Amino acid sequence: MKITIRFLTMAILTLVCTGGMAAVSPANRTLERSIVTLDVTRKLHDFFLPWSKQVKTVLKSGIVVGPQEILTTADGLENRTLIRLQKGGRGSWWNAEIKWIDYPANLAIVTVADGKFWSGLQPVKLADSMNLSGELQIYRWRSGNLEARKAEFNRFTVGSGEKSDAARVQLELGAEIDQVGFSEPVLMGGKVIGLIYSRTEKVCAALPSPFIRSILDARRRGTYQGLGYFDFTWQPAENPDTLAFLKLPGDPRGVVVIDVPKQSEAQSGLKVRDVILQIDGFDIDIQGDYLDPQYGHLILENLSTRNKWAGDTVRLRISREGREQEISYRMPKAEDAAKFVPEAEFDGEPEYLIVGGLVFQPLSKNYLRRWGQDWKRVAPFRLTYFQYENPSDERPAVVILSQVLPDVYNVGYQDARTLVLERVNGQPVSRLEDLEKALKNSTNDFHVFDFQNGDTLQRVVLDAKELEAANSRVLQRYGIENIHAFSAAKE
Amino acid sequence: MLRNLFYLILLSALATDVLSAEPQRSVIQIITSTQEPDWDSPWRFDAVRRSGGTGFVIKGKKIMTNAHVVSWARQILVRRYQDPRPYVARVLFVAHDCDLAVLEVEDARFFDGLEALEFGDLPQVRSTVVTYGYPAGGEQISYTRGVVSRIEVQPYAHAGNRSSLAVQTDAAINPGNSGGPVVQDDLVVGVAFQGMQGLENTGFFIPPPVIQRFLKDIEDGTYDGLTMTGIRLVPLQNPAYRIFLKLPDNSLGARVDSLLPIPTAQKAFRKDDVLLKVGQYEVGSDGTVLYDGNRVSAAVVFQMAQQGESLPAKLWRDGKEIDMPVSSVVYEGDRLVGNQYDSLPRYFVYAGLVFTPLSMDYLKTFGRNWRDSANTELIYELFYRRAESPETARSEPVVLASVLVHPVNANLKNASRSLVDKINGIRIDSLADVARAFESGTNTHDVIEFLPNHAFETLDRTAAGVANAEILKTYSIPKDRRL
Repeated sequence: MKITIRFLTMAILTLVCTGGMAAVSPANRTLERSIVTLDVTRKLHDFFLPWSKQVKTVLKSGIVVGPQEILTTADGLENRTLIRLQKGGRGSWWNAEIKWIDYPANLAIVTVADGKFWSGLQPVKLADSMNLSGELQIYRWRSGNLEARKAEFNRFTVGSGEKSDAARVQLELGAEIDQVGFSEPVLMGGKVIGLIYSRTEKVCAALPSPFIRSILDARRRGTYQGLGYFDFTWQPAENPDTLAFLKLPGDPRGVVVIDVPKQSEAQSGLKVRDVILQIDGFDIDIQGDYLDPQYGHLILENLSTRNKWAGDTVRLRISREGREQEISYRMPKAEDAAKFVPEAEFDGEPEYLIVGGLVFQPLSKNYLRRWGQDWKRVAPFRLTYFQYENPSDERPAVVILSQVLPDVYNVGYQDARTLVLERVNGQPVSRLEDLEKALKNSTNDFHVFDFQNGDTLQRVVLDAKELEAANSRVLQRYGIENIHAFSAAKE
Repeated sequence: MLRNLFYLILLSALATDVLSAEPQRSVIQIITSTQEPDWDSPWRFDAVRRSGGTGFVIKGKKIMTNAHVVSWARQILVRRYQDPRPYVARVLFVAHDCDLAVLEVEDARFFDGLEALEFGDLPQVRSTVVTYGYPAGGEQISYTRGVVSRIEVQPYAHAGNRSSLAVQTDAAINPGNSGGPVVQDDLVVGVAFQGMQGLENTGFFIPPPVIQRFLKDIEDGTYDGLTMTGIRLVPLQNPAYRIFLKLPDNSLGARVDSLLPIPTAQKAFRKDDVLLKVGQYEVGSDGTVLYDGNRVSAAVVFQMAQQGESLPAKLWRDGKEIDMPVSSVVYEGDRLVGNQYDSLPRYFVYAGLVFTPLSMDYLKTFGRNWRDSANTELIYELFYRRAESPETARSEPVVLASVLVHPVNANLKNASRSLVDKINGIRIDSLADVARAFESGTNTHDVIEFLPNHAFETLDRTAAGVANAEILKTYSIPKDRRL
């Protein structure tokens, strides 16, 4: 009895598989020449042990999009040490290099110097419209064969990538496929309609081709300046009393601005309690959506990356005190957003500075993420709360004492951790450089560290003369090569 | 058949006990009917719950028990040992911070033939104690025996934001044991009060110093509370820090790391003062004192003082030893962070918008995982702002607790359960400000602004005024405010 059932299940499974696998057709023969495999070796950083380095290898997909150009997502390429390409799903590996990469947009162009690699390869077209009436297929190389899986269109939404808060459109697909999110192309009618970059449960998220094309085209024209974002905050105008209070004539529409950073207000003249009626000619409804000709209803944030880039001007039609007016708003660059908890430098080493076993690190998203998938719950509340606070000129960033590597020198402080550093030897500290300077410039016999007010330890004192000896002891005992690592990008 | 036999044995055992004058005759069963308010609908009460606890007779025809046994009580019934008749009792004194209460019984006959139990001293670690009580699992009195495992400062769960001296024992202490005496040589050496989740064979009882302190506190007819001196002591064990403060290299002295906003503390202490001695107790470099043979936090010494009492202390400041009396006082500045009892939640309802002070009790309405589900701004405001930037802190932050839906407010979607910044331009520092701000509004619209990012909502004032009475009626709210 049992055997029969199992046999039946197997039969069904086989059926499903053949149903899902597209037969090798002439169309696929062409595709086989456009899809390549990338083998990326990269350094993996542990932000709890910022000096320790591990190496990881990932396999991902790429598509040929032009002469000597292979397009892939930027995910997995950070801190790379070696990229190799394989075509046709088998055979030799070719050394490759990055021609262009943009982490916030999650796109990269890879190339191979050896001309022989390119023979037999041919570009595939990126769709320029999102008419998803045909059958969608996800492709990738698996064990020497081009695998095709059926996908279903769910919807378009606006989201942001792993490495940026910049909003942009994403295509959500349903598909019975495991281990995707490594830049697999989704095709319809012979054209690429998106690259998959993540998967949660049964939903795959892909960058839609029109979005990718708009960036690649702007890049070729030399007008791409990186993703921009709207730095003002707004709230929906679902309460008609609010629109009446703001003296908006006519039907309810638009959204209400509730916060504008100073420099943005100075540049554009946008003010708190303006009602935004249109952006670049698109009507904004009271929920904050506009009707996109390509994707349907999307939240207005998408207009910050719809064919407009950092530094470009966006036209805002607003109502202020009942009078409509047009405003030119210049979009700031997403990467330049002043945040207390920045993304750590792309491709940078984790920064740290060890002072007699006390480990200081800049507060960064990567550090918080190290607390695990649910870091928003698990990481110390005080540190995660910095996300909601605004940096100032006096305090542009935050340095934390992340942990103490026990040594006789720091006895009594071994339980101190995740403390927010405020001053060292009386000098305010926002960056590791400030900390280093404050230690160097002191001629006292002691180094005094003051931490943020709160219910945790507020002061630590160390012996200045003994510091050097303690440092070398700590390095040796804990197998650490360098007493500090500062980002190369900084002075 | 077997069942009957079992009863017989039990009865005969009890019969012999009745003959001798034993402490159990003075152990009282307490049956409480409680009703707690609903902190996000502050005019409402939850269902009535019945719970059981234990108490014991003390001098002056009174019953001692835990505060948590009688908190939010609608009715308290007490029963004597092996006497089926219930008597009505009421709370005479309650100390939520140290979880103790004293009850009196209306019918004086209740105490006929009952002797008051006497208190002993702090029991020795490793000595044996017996708990008496009426825990879950049966109707009759139950005894458990255990040893005193250790004695130190523990958090008192009832208050939530206070710690005090507590004794750990491996005698089983279960629900219903609460308030019961822990006895050694016929003397009460503790009041059973709490267990600890995840630990086996551990129960905690309140030791004699805390009990005696409470009894002394209420001698004048009012309970003032556990006292403190308002300093945060941290260990001073790093050799460099000791040299920095010019202190000898020994195991004495703990450092003042920060001060609470208590005037006497701000006046007497400075950061980096070192506390060497308080009362007769030398303070160790880990912040503990040797208290009756046990190393416990020096805070215990301050806590055992009465409100306003001055204790002689030895401090180390600027490289010199100085003698200075330090005051121990009751601190109420962290009231909203602890659990509140017996005083009803305050609120103000306007056009269906329910405003209430931000408190721990309110946060708990988000459920067990309130840390995940509550707005982060509420958590920061309640637990961090006062310490980090006292100049921006509000004396009583107010939250829009809920919206009682009505056409007049049905479109308000931007701010429920958020912290209120301003109403009609007036900064909200307390619940009273909310009432004042709405009542003094003169524009066509009421404007309510929220933290942290200035989201705001508006109400048509005329419509709101009309809707007010109707909303109160629809939702059966007896009064629009309890300020």
